[in-house]
Amino acid sequence: MSVYITSTGAFLPGPPIAIEEVEGVLGAVNGKPSSLRVQIQKANKIQTRHYAIDANQQTTHSNTEMAANAASQCLDRAFVAKENVGMLAVATTQGDLPAPGMASMVQAELGLAELEILTTHGICSSSMMALKAAWNSLRLDEHEAALVVSSELASRLLKKQRYEAATKSTFAEKRIDFNTEFLRWMLSDGAGALLLQNKPAPKGMSLRIDWMRGFSHAHAFPTCMSVGSAGRVEDARTWQDYDSYAEAEIDGALLLRQDVRLLDNILRMGVDGYLRLVQEGVSKPLDVDHFLCHYSSHHFRDKILDLLDAAGVGIPEERWWTNLYTRGNTGAASLFIMLDEFLRTDEIEVKEGEKILCFVPESGRFNTTYMQLTVVKG
Amino acid sequence: MNDGEIMIKGGTPVASMDEEMDSMDLNPHAQVCLQHLLRVWLGFERDLSTVPLLRRIDLGTYTVEDHLCLLRNLRQQVIEGSRWITRAASSFDRNHAEIRSTIISHAVDEHRDYELLELDYVASGGHIEDVQGMERNIGSEALHGYLMHRSSRPNPIDLLGAMWIIEGLGEKMARSWAERIQELTGLSEDSTRFMSYHGHNDSEHMLRFYEMLDEVCIDEAGVASIVKTAKVVARLYRLQLEEVQHGLK
Repeated sequence: MSVYITSTGAFLPGPPIAIEEVEGVLGAVNGKPSSLRVQIQKANKIQTRHYAIDANQQTTHSNTEMAANAASQCLDRAFVAKENVGMLAVATTQGDLPAPGMASMVQAELGLAELEILTTHGICSSSMMALKAAWNSLRLDEHEAALVVSSELASRLLKKQRYEAATKSTFAEKRIDFNTEFLRWMLSDGAGALLLQNKPAPKGMSLRIDWMRGFSHAHAFPTCMSVGSAGRVEDARTWQDYDSYAEAEIDGALLLRQDVRLLDNILRMGVDGYLRLVQEGVSKPLDVDHFLCHYSSHHFRDKILDLLDAAGVGIPEERWWTNLYTRGNTGAASLFIMLDEFLRTDEIEVKEGEKILCFVPESGRFNTTYMQLTVVKG
Repeated sequence: MNDGEIMIKGGTPVASMDEEMDSMDLNPHAQVCLQHLLRVWLGFERDLSTVPLLRRIDLGTYTVEDHLCLLRNLRQQVIEGSRWITRAASSFDRNHAEIRSTIISHAVDEHRDYELLELDYVASGGHIEDVQGMERNIGSEALHGYLMHRSSRPNPIDLLGAMWIIEGLGEKMARSWAERIQELTGLSEDSTRFMSYHGHNDSEHMLRFYEMLDEVCIDEAGVASIVKTAKVVARLYRLQLEEVQHGLK
């Protein structure tokens, strides 16, 4: 059975924050402006982003509220009553509560009665996990409609107070501070939602899901992006192993870390998975009209892309489309926020029958996920 | 971190090579072969992260002792490398004169690289007799035996697969290991010259590789043999690196 994305929604909290305003919102750690901010922002080229905290680092929207706002917009635009939605799948890196799962909270916020729920746990690719589970449920004919929501509130992990409290951390000792600061100037907040149905919407564009695949390489690589350990090889403790949560925070075990040195591997594994799909005949490079990637093309200024071109399977740069530069890198929510704008933007004309290849890599422990959509008109 | 512009050793911007590579149109068999070779390489590179000694480079726990151990074990492979490549050159007949010339000039460039490696070993605090007296480890035996066997066959075009893996690793050593090893161990540049050296003229090597591939990989059988040899070499090379810490006595 074919399954279609028939409606989308997005929510970005507060006003767009420009490059030079970012530190004003997240706060200067110990009152000192960061010496790495400009360099990291120059590299990621994000011009504006949104935060669900204000300039005093007080939360303005909970993660649950953002998810519900995106979901409500998606349902308001749909040609199906919310009572017909049989499943709610929610993805996030960190919900408002460690337990229960975020889907329970979002369900309550939306007032959706007696439906099947799923919370996926991970980082960027958790949205693809939720989407795949919902897609499969519809393919099994268990529901006629499913709502998939992905929401991220990274700024609570990135505000100055987190770093100021970590007085014994590697950040405070300046041992590998680049790794703890890298994501501070990269990630921001937002939510996206997709409605799946077993038939296209009667009007406008729908997106048929042709296939979804994922390849995880955690068996081979060390952890690259994480929260929960102090980032010292010799110390195997994770945050709950400390006598108190306060001690874990002081030691830096609650800081978000990215092992920047390992980051190249996610691109390389992304290329490997893509080539695998090409070799299996699943993905046909010549058929791809639009390429939506959770990273932007300039991140991939790597020799390996020249190799893909030489091997005859490169995707020309004019087929890449992203809103990362204006909406920010919202982790798991990025692709859904991207799809929502892609269907509405005047920048490009999206035509019936066109194929959209989506790629969501997760550097956490190197998971790469892919999806192909076909544009269908009702 | 870089800001999007990648410079290669020697200061040549990648962009200037791009133009030459863009004008490089591989034949369809060579293109398919390159797709497969890329996957063999990426799998090999990923699996290197599971080799205990190399994982310590990733984790930041690599020591001077590790470096001496790695160099001791690499030397035999470097010496034998120049032997199989010259053997391969002599196995090509006159219908393959172009590839033979390329391989001979490549062998001339690299056949004394082990001397550089020996100097690195001494600069890292090792004794010259220890590195010179080291015999082939179990993986080096297998790799060397396989490569000598393949290069003794007539017109061994499949060895392009071997070159792909071995050259790729040379480039990786220069790109990701040399500086990182200095940083972790406190050793100087003098200890990683063998590794850094392989980053030189990398784009030129790549272009030459494309030319050879386009010339000799002209049917499905060619694709299959090149890819298979690349897979075997990747596995045996990893075996060699896995065996570095196993004593032979």
